[in-house]
Amino acid sequence: MATIQIAGKNIEVDEDGYLVNLEDWSEEVANSLAASEQVEMSPNHWEVVNFLREYYQEYKIAPMIRILTKEIGKKLGKDKGNTKYLYELYPGGPAKQACKIAGLPKPTGCV
Amino acid sequence: MAKADFELPNIENGVRVPAIKPGAMAHVKYHPASEAHLSKTGFPANRVDNWKEVALAKMNELMGKYKSLQLFLDVCVKCGACADKCHYFLGTGDPNNMPVARQELMRKVYRKNFTVGGALFGGLARAEDLTEEVLQEWMTYFHQCSQCRRCSVFCPFGIDTAEISMAAREIMDSIGAGQKYTLEIIAKVHDTGNNLGIPKNALIGTLEFLEEDVKEATGVDVKFPLDQKGAEVMLIVPSADFFSSPHVDSLVGYAKVFHAAGISYTFSSHASEFANFGMFIGSYDNTKKIATRIADAGRDLGVKRIVVGECGHAYRVAYSFWNTLAGPFDFLDKNYPVPTHICEFTEELIRRNALTLDKSANDEFTVTYHDSCNVARGSRMGTEPGGQFEIPRNILKAVCNKYVEMDPESNREKTFCCGGGGGLLSDELLEVRVKGAAPKAAALKEVMDNQGVNTMAMICAICKAQFTKVLPYYDIPMEAVAGVHQLVSNAIQLGGK
Amino acid sequence: MSGLSPLSLVYAVLSYAVTAVFFGGLLHKLWGYAVTPNPLNIATTPAPATRGGVIVSNIVNIATFSSLFKGNRWTWIGGYAFHVILLAVFARHLRLFLHPVPPLLVLIQPVALLGALLLPLPLIYLLARRKAVDRYAWISSPADYFVLVLLLLIGLSGLGLKFVSHSDMVGIKQFLLGLVMASPVDMPPHPAFIIHFTLVLMLAAYFPFSKLMHAGGVFFSPTRTMVDDPRERRHVNPWAAK
Repeated sequence: MATIQIAGKNIEVDEDGYLVNLEDWSEEVANSLAASEQVEMSPNHWEVVNFLREYYQEYKIAPMIRILTKEIGKKLGKDKGNTKYLYELYPGGPAKQACKIAGLPKPTGCV
Repeated sequence: MAKADFELPNIENGVRVPAIKPGAMAHVKYHPASEAHLSKTGFPANRVDNWKEVALAKMNELMGKYKSLQLFLDVCVKCGACADKCHYFLGTGDPNNMPVARQELMRKVYRKNFTVGGALFGGLARAEDLTEEVLQEWMTYFHQCSQCRRCSVFCPFGIDTAEISMAAREIMDSIGAGQKYTLEIIAKVHDTGNNLGIPKNALIGTLEFLEEDVKEATGVDVKFPLDQKGAEVMLIVPSADFFSSPHVDSLVGYAKVFHAAGISYTFSSHASEFANFGMFIGSYDNTKKIATRIADAGRDLGVKRIVVGECGHAYRVAYSFWNTLAGPFDFLDKNYPVPTHICEFTEELIRRNALTLDKSANDEFTVTYHDSCNVARGSRMGTEPGGQFEIPRNILKAVCNKYVEMDPESNREKTFCCGGGGGLLSDELLEVRVKGAAPKAAALKEVMDNQGVNTMAMICAICKAQFTKVLPYYDIPMEAVAGVHQLVSNAIQLGGK
Repeated sequence: MSGLSPLSLVYAVLSYAVTAVFFGGLLHKLWGYAVTPNPLNIATTPAPATRGGVIVSNIVNIATFSSLFKGNRWTWIGGYAFHVILLAVFARHLRLFLHPVPPLLVLIQPVALLGALLLPLPLIYLLARRKAVDRYAWISSPADYFVLVLLLLIGLSGLGLKFVSHSDMVGIKQFLLGLVMASPVDMPPHPAFIIHFTLVLMLAAYFPFSKLMHAGGVFFSPTRTMVDDPRERRHVNPWAAK
């Protein structure tokens, strides 16, 4: 397993750079992961990350994209509640890139 | 347009047969599977010490168990008819991606260890021992095969490279050198019942969300029932339908069809996955275990039929292998095929005029259809050979006004794979995937440029995920990707609102 | 076998040895193909849904090389021409092993002779093809060239036998019939015949250990010989005990 150093702390990540231990996550870690993905975190980016983390805490899985878009639509306005906007925020994909920054494991399967 | 840090094939005016570029894709390596995933799937957790002996013994065992493997290792005459048929060769030029050369990676080891000529003449017979170097070639190039079977169509002897790459992967797994992507997923489906690892409460939440969402959009109470004993139909879908877009739009389409037909159905939390990655790694045991899970769920729920959703390789497994692996399905109603593809189910309703369809709901789309490789060359729909081509098209023509065919040299029996099948839908293989998608992207681009196509419909979860990811590299928007039942969903009239 | 010249004795022994290797090897291989199970139905679809349909489609493919035709017209032309001519030449040679010669064989002699004359052409074409196209050059091994060159030499030496050296056909036939009847007689000590015959023995001995097994293997290919009926008829895997 590889490790990355964030704020003087060694953090284990998998081959794709996803956190191995979810409890290693912090806002600082998120910012650092975002930087490595060339994503600059705005408040709207944080809305996505925060929702992903909340949902994960309850269900132990990332939400369906449709659930995420609807939630973002509720929070940020209907015009933003769609996949296209999520890809604007996270060009690497809301499922994969956003999950990575939120400290969630990488979704597996035909996704 | 997504940017690539590698050179993209030119797809204008179709993909030409490239000059060979030895070693062009040798640098691509898959992520190795972890100890946990290897153990969970029945393989040694780490590379075994005497791996070469174990691998050769496994190869010998498989040649005794599979006529295909034994025969295909012998009878290739290297005519080269397959050489320019693989999408990965066309997209990369790497000669090891010519099907015949991919087979040779195993055949040279076969010659050295199992034939007189190879043992006597060695290099002159192109016989080679299974060295670390050869094993590395196996790891690389048997994971640049999506097992799409296109080569087998053109081979004078029907040699199917998929059979060889499946055997190669089984051999690699048996020495503890497996691929993370496939084995992690198989481990998850054994644990949770689906590839994504969706727990039951999350599945319940997701289905409830969909009921509300569809109600909001249509005003109709379309149900997404889970574990409902005594339902007429158990619907098995790829778990990506519970997670991704545009996959979910087809899921909504299936639900609407059941609603409109007035036929009760249920999902199963025990078997919440149609995909069966056991086939990708050539593992009979894992394929059987996943298939059996579905049969058990159907028996427990007391359903009369099993209908399956839009997933290509899984339909091959279900259509061709289920009866062998998990049959006989004598608890089901014998009047329906096991399994019944959702397209067979929907098309039959359309033919009976049992659905009210408003084609104009899809007027913003000019639609073409992509034949998914495993459906095209590893299954059938209906009773006539080739029904797997006609039935989805009949549906599309019933729900859309504007339907256009792609070049039949790139579709139907000769369809090009999306480039992400066979366990290659993993990010570290992105370069292979993007380049392998070039032939299909070229066929799509041709009808987009000349006939105004803006939507490519398909019935495979891998195709959908792959195309949404890789088409943007070719300047084709991801919105062009649609499920067949997504378009059904748009057109179907439920009588509410 | 007493009374044979030393050369004839050597060739008689060689002929029987090669025949044993050829048939032994061939049957061993075909037996392996026949008894190794198909655990799963892997018909490449669309495929016929009935046994009869499968038989017809295989006859068509074997008689016309239809899948190769689909794959590559240029390779098909060379490959198909070669195999048809080979068949004609083979039929022509049967007269040397049969007595009396069946009328049909007599009838086809002129056509078959034309075939023998043409045989080198597709072989040269197939050889050139392997050199000319980068993909084929990459996949071609010494073994692939060896077979083509061997066949070419057999063809040329056969033509030499017929047209250049005017050998003793009656003596050759007596020698071959003697071998078939298990009472060998002397071989005509004719260099052209000895070369031709030696090359043929080499080919026959090489056959079961090489890609030439495609000739028998084609009848066993599961993707082509399995019936597309897995939903209608449960295919049982012979090695799945449970």
